[in-house]
Amino acid sequence: MSVYLSGVPVRSGQPESSSFSGVIGQERMKLALLLAAIEPRIGGVLIRGERGTAKSTLVRAMAAILPTQEQVADCPYHCSPSGPDQCADCSDRVARGEQLPVVIRPTRVVELPLGGSEDRIVGSIDLELALRQGRRAFQPGLLAEANRQVLYVDEVNLLEHHLVDVLLDAAGSGVNVVEREEISITHPSRFVLVGTMNPDEGELRPQLLDRFGLCVEVSGLRGLEDRVAVMRRDAEQPMVPSGDRQLAERLERAQRLLPRLETPELVVRMAAVMSVDQQVIGHRSDLVLVRAAQARRALQAAVTERPSADGLVVGLSDLAEVAELALVHRRRSQGGSLTEAPPGVSDPLSEQLAAPAEVGMPDLKGEAGPTGETTSENGLAEGEESPEGAAGATAELAGSTDSRPGPSTAQPVEVEEGFEVGRIQLPRERLRRRGRGRRSQTTSRDRRGRYVGAREVEHPTDLALDATLRAAAPHQVSRRAASEAGGRQLQLEPQDLRQKVRQRRIGNLIVFAVDASASMDAEQRMDATRSAIFALLQDAYVRRDRVALVSFSGRSAQVVLRPTASVDLAERHLTRIAVGGTTPLTHGLTTAVNLIAAERRRDPDVLPLLVLISDGRGNISLGGEEPLLEAQRMADQIRREGIRALVIDSSRDHLPQLAAARPSGSAAARFAGYNFNACVDLAERMGAAYFGLFDLSEGAILRPVTEALRQPQSSGRPSSL
Amino acid sequence: MAELRNVYPFTALVGQGQMRLALELNAVNPAIGGVLIRGEKGTAKSTAVRALARLLPELEVVVGCHFGCAPRGDAMCSDCQGRLAAGEELEVTQRQMRVVELPINASEDRVVGSIDLEAAIHSGQRRFEPGVLAEANRQILYVDEVNLLDDHIVDVLLDAAAMGVNVVEREGISVWHPSRFILVGTMNPEEGDLRPQLLDRFGLCVDVSGITNIADRVEIVQRREAFEDDPVGFAAEWEEEEGRERDRIDRAIAALPGIQISRQVLEGIARLAIELEVDGHRADLVARKAAQAYAALEALPQVGLAEVAAVAAMVLAHRVHSRPGQRPHDIAASTRRVLGEA
Repeated sequence: MSVYLSGVPVRSGQPESSSFSGVIGQERMKLALLLAAIEPRIGGVLIRGERGTAKSTLVRAMAAILPTQEQVADCPYHCSPSGPDQCADCSDRVARGEQLPVVIRPTRVVELPLGGSEDRIVGSIDLELALRQGRRAFQPGLLAEANRQVLYVDEVNLLEHHLVDVLLDAAGSGVNVVEREEISITHPSRFVLVGTMNPDEGELRPQLLDRFGLCVEVSGLRGLEDRVAVMRRDAEQPMVPSGDRQLAERLERAQRLLPRLETPELVVRMAAVMSVDQQVIGHRSDLVLVRAAQARRALQAAVTERPSADGLVVGLSDLAEVAELALVHRRRSQGGSLTEAPPGVSDPLSEQLAAPAEVGMPDLKGEAGPTGETTSENGLAEGEESPEGAAGATAELAGSTDSRPGPSTAQPVEVEEGFEVGRIQLPRERLRRRGRGRRSQTTSRDRRGRYVGAREVEHPTDLALDATLRAAAPHQVSRRAASEAGGRQLQLEPQDLRQKVRQRRIGNLIVFAVDASASMDAEQRMDATRSAIFALLQDAYVRRDRVALVSFSGRSAQVVLRPTASVDLAERHLTRIAVGGTTPLTHGLTTAVNLIAAERRRDPDVLPLLVLISDGRGNISLGGEEPLLEAQRMADQIRREGIRALVIDSSRDHLPQLAAARPSGSAAARFAGYNFNACVDLAERMGAAYFGLFDLSEGAILRPVTEALRQPQSSGRPSSL
Repeated sequence: MAELRNVYPFTALVGQGQMRLALELNAVNPAIGGVLIRGEKGTAKSTAVRALARLLPELEVVVGCHFGCAPRGDAMCSDCQGRLAAGEELEVTQRQMRVVELPINASEDRVVGSIDLEAAIHSGQRRFEPGVLAEANRQILYVDEVNLLDDHIVDVLLDAAAMGVNVVEREGISVWHPSRFILVGTMNPEEGDLRPQLLDRFGLCVDVSGITNIADRVEIVQRREAFEDDPVGFAAEWEEEEGRERDRIDRAIAALPGIQISRQVLEGIARLAIELEVDGHRADLVARKAAQAYAALEALPQVGLAEVAAVAAMVLAHRVHSRPGQRPHDIAASTRRVLGEA
């Protein structure tokens, strides 16, 4: 059974979701989306938040309130008939003096699905045309469809690397450059990027984060009334409420008002001051702040049909309203977590804004000087441009960074504090994509994983049909003519064959087994481990590494943190770990090994690293045997199963007399009497590196871990037991 | 429906009341959003899901539609929409709702659909070969060992579950079709966790464990043996019971739209969600639907606090965080406290 697809699918027929104004509460999220719709140059919105908070519902409902736009009727890129940034075809036609056919269409929300393949997103050769007529034509992809529209990526933090790269290229330049399958084309691709994500599933790549003009953090409503209202609304039949129609009209008015706004210099200066004050990364925020404030003014003014002149002056209240949206994801926060309550952010901000004459102005005069004025004038000029101008925010931004050092550069930006080993250079199991579609490593050879591209091979084992067809397509007419049979049969030749390149997320799984028994430095040991975990997770999203923590004390071991790449989740689970009691070392090792075994069942390619942090003096038996012998047996098993391991000795006393002072009767203590170091012994049995004799700190844990991960992987397969 | 003959009858299951209830509630109102069944091996998880297929209601389906579209409503495929728009009268047939299985090792092409090889090679046409997500539209999508599913398959599943639509933009194909399914998953928690995002997509979650009552265990073995010796005879023996259960579900489906729920009960649900600090609002919405379905099954005219209490555990089990250093939330105790000894 197969379905014949005639041309472009009828997307407009997709089921309508609930209405925009019908969503209860979530005013910040609504405001951010409205602002981004009014002024595309703000650069879109990222919505972060817990599950079940109407994130995607609201974005999809946005389609109903977006203004209509003029489009060239037969242009696949929806070019504006008058506007700038037309595609080559449209501008040629204009140059020839042709009258372009114009239609008015609603602005759309184009979705980029996570499972999308590069050829459909970038666009590729039109297969049917090529196969049937031998014509080489470009079939536009999603980036073409998204031009002048809203491009929505749900779960944007899970988007594959190569797609993120493509998206970044287009978002940065405003054009999509296609060089593939003997097709060479460049077309405009300017879109309002909207992304939603749940930080529990990992963070966003910094470059992509920065692309989003605004960012909102959402959470569920906590009020009883609101929650009841949400349930009632959900039970109602969906309908197009008048609220959405009014909102759509208001949005259209706001867009028309935008060029008429007046933006006082004070506002532009204040935006710069805020950026500096909030220790924002880069310069994009200044511009975004001003544009968002303008959009918000336009939105307010558009409440009435005929706003007064006063209503068209951008004010500090507008800036205050949008400040958090523009700054939250650009702020350097200690520890790098975005979800951390920004310490005292809004307070000083609102203070500044409440008393601009006293706080803001003198400061400004003092530090900005003439340079500051230049910036603001430029900012003003930009603000007065027609919104249809839609000259890429980025191009201007680049300009403002290079040639116009505003007040923000005058101020040295403080270096990120917190982790001494902020970014750890773990080896990457994948090659970062440079050149389009070229990738070599990390690809799985067993037909598992996501099909990300194709390459030429002599004897393909995993045929990429679409790529093969595309490769063969341009030659069909000539081959058919040459062959006797002719007809419409496809004529394939060996050089057409393409192999699927599949990619899987193979990451390191770092399992910490940490001794939480009572001792002088138990707390310190835990703190050091905790911060080492956070440091490892900072880059976890990029690397697909995951970290787990098993702690053992008393008479059992617990999986405190299941394998995760989420800083949030780690924070939630690691805030307080009980410390105290005896040392059930075997329990700890067993639990860790079981955890690794479970993860390996799920993904046989996972690369585990077991990090044992203990003094090695187990004194609780698991199976009734001498604790130390049990631990040794576990250590042997770890080696047999091919698990990479590290032993970090947390004891600071290797002197026999000190060890002997511990409760006697345990073998560890007795061995210690013979100057026997239990940790060294365990490490040898595990085939692990041993680290000891230092004060435990985050760095002391991180360094060996990083070092171990850098070792070439011997693909330690469990020798079947 | 020959395959169904070898399915163990739902009503012949012993015990596991929560799991059975969760499945029944979904049969009554698919909008509840499926069930996740967590538990050790050999607790009749898969048996129960497959057995449910016999009790599911019949659906109205457009004849010839690849996605089993309903003849009306907002979730039609573009093809059916086009035919309607062209003024065509759509032919309708009745078909029983099915359990579509998503095998754990399924490739992405098989799940979302792919380019049709034959059509491409023979006639150079770009055709779409629908996958499991197409088959699952309006059916139950069953994933055994859902926690072992590959990450990228989970992504695709989440996309479809969230939108009710499968959007395919790959292998030179650009197509969408409706894919609204009841997601039913089973997992053994010892083999690893489920990603939080996917966890939340399951409307209900029940934990099952082995039965410790000796008499019940004997009964299980006896019935299982009788079934394996003579599946057809066993099914016939249980046919009457199955018929009663089917009627009960059919009656509940018919009664569901008329079931009232008072403001006071909604407040109870909201209080419980606030007390237990659940993420987002999905718990509230699912609780309302599940309580209504429960009242319908019990042939009650309206939902009371007791009905909410009856479904609270399965709505909240997977949505309550345990915060380290604090005692984990006791769902049962909170339910009693908030909803009263109803």
